[in-house]
Amino acid sequence: MITRATSQDRARPDRRFEPARMRRTVLEMAWAGSAVHVASAFSIVELLTTLYRSHLRYPDNDSRSPERDFLVLSKGHGVMAQYACLLEMGWLDESHIRAYFSEGSLLFGLSDSRVPGLEVSSGSLGHGFPVGVGIAMGVQRKGTDQRVYAILGDGELDEGAIWEGVMVAAHHRMDKLMLIVDQNGFQAMGRTEEVLALGDLEGRFASFGFETLAVDGHDETAIDRAIGQLWATGAGKPKALVARTIKGKGVPFMESDNRWHYQRLTAETYAAALAALGFDAAGIAAGDATR
Amino acid sequence: MRTAFSRALIDLARADPSVLLLTGDHGYALFDEYRRCVPGQYVNAGVAEQNMVSMAAGLARVGFRPFVYALAAFVPVRTVEQIKLDITHDSLPVVLVGDGAGLVYSHLGPSHQSAEDVACTRALPGLTILSPADRFEMSACMAHAGTTRGPVYLRMGKADRGDVHPGAIGPLHAGHLLRVREGRADRPGLVATGSMVTTALGVAGVLDLSAWSAPVLKPLSVADVCAAASASTGLVTLEEHSVLGGLGAAVAEMTAEHQPTRVLRIGVPDRFSRRCGSHEYLLREHGLDADTVCSRVAAFMALTKRADPIRPPLP
Repeated sequence: MITRATSQDRARPDRRFEPARMRRTVLEMAWAGSAVHVASAFSIVELLTTLYRSHLRYPDNDSRSPERDFLVLSKGHGVMAQYACLLEMGWLDESHIRAYFSEGSLLFGLSDSRVPGLEVSSGSLGHGFPVGVGIAMGVQRKGTDQRVYAILGDGELDEGAIWEGVMVAAHHRMDKLMLIVDQNGFQAMGRTEEVLALGDLEGRFASFGFETLAVDGHDETAIDRAIGQLWATGAGKPKALVARTIKGKGVPFMESDNRWHYQRLTAETYAAALAALGFDAAGIAAGDATR
Repeated sequence: MRTAFSRALIDLARADPSVLLLTGDHGYALFDEYRRCVPGQYVNAGVAEQNMVSMAAGLARVGFRPFVYALAAFVPVRTVEQIKLDITHDSLPVVLVGDGAGLVYSHLGPSHQSAEDVACTRALPGLTILSPADRFEMSACMAHAGTTRGPVYLRMGKADRGDVHPGAIGPLHAGHLLRVREGRADRPGLVATGSMVTTALGVAGVLDLSAWSAPVLKPLSVADVCAAASASTGLVTLEEHSVLGGLGAAVAEMTAEHQPTRVLRIGVPDRFSRRCGSHEYLLREHGLDADTVCSRVAAFMALTKRADPIRPPLP
């Protein structure tokens, strides 16, 4: 029998999940591993920090607790931002960050289910959300109050399997499932509206039977409120949160510049990006003695 | 054979409430009894195979034992990537049942025929591939699938071609060949799977050959294949699947590495069916009918008799 997790399991006020620090960790990883997809990670930082700080339940801080909530990163390209949160959760340590992409290391450039805290392997798009639908169906059948969140890219919505999952979720009234779209307006080769237009996303999800809200995806207070509101309304309906985000958010020269989907950091851009986030070259914030 | 499948599935579902049947809107009449017996363990996931396979992975992650049923042309072939990334990567206990494998959907054409499903899945790490020949092998395969901890692909032909075993067989052991006929050791042996075991038995009777059935295509026992090779002058493989990537390929790979012998692969040639017709018609078109198989095996027998079977002269 699965017991109901308490609100204490969910809220982690002691952990700050400060967005600037999460972005610093992303930069450190990208610099250490000469890794790409920095901008993809930056657009989901506040979505992740809000979820980890206030919504996701992990009884006993166990990443594999059978009673946990599930966070499925369907857009595996943003995984560095999640690694930053896993570091804060204590499931990764600094050595993982420093060793990013080194020979024989644990963390890949896309989400891999073997990493504690990652539920699925994604990066090939259109997989994570349907797996999340299966998890939600299982939770529904067991009758627990566990919640399932899936973060999808807007470019990922090109995949037909996503819409198969959307139909199944609505048909089976999976009201413990929340689909969160990171609507940063870009996909690998350009603007989503130019590659394959998505049109009115809230309207689309609503027409498929989802309880839907749009939110500024970088306003943690608004995200927090919107998530709470979605869970509180639309009984019997799966939820869709359309988060308006900025690809590369937080570092002005990366924002809405799609080259940062692919581009690697140089010593100059690394230092400039850290400075833009308020850190010195050693990654230390003004007036902050801690790492 | 399909009755044996349905019955075994009902037994598994009754014994274990975590067993869940997902169907991609297929299985008309096949699941009537199942739905009557365990209605709560049946989900029609719609004509949406990609989502269905990924969803099965999600269900397995939270403790369910999904059986995913579709036509082999769709599961596994349409959904190979979902099987790879969502199921086999994490060794999840999902049983994929591909019905109508081979040429049996002869009148419906290339969309429903499936001669590539084993080739598409054999390289997926940790996936067990089962291919029963009759109702007894089906029952044993379902028992095996129900207890295997990892992912399984069960290949099912729609046509029932009769029993190849006299009665129930014991528990399956991974990769073991089942001897279905004892024949002369100075002649080639036949190794067949699924619907072609019946054909193999007929041909073996005419030519007095040994014959084995391979209900488990992966893993396949190297020891058993080598034993069959050493008990004969060469091996003939028979399958209602492409000659590329299936049983014939597996036997050729193993013997080439461990027990060199001549191997004749009889299966669907590397081309699509040309014409519409009955299942029997298409078997003839692809040279899988008993007469063609018999004459090919006879020619192979003459070839392997002439000289050292390990290095026979080229024709």
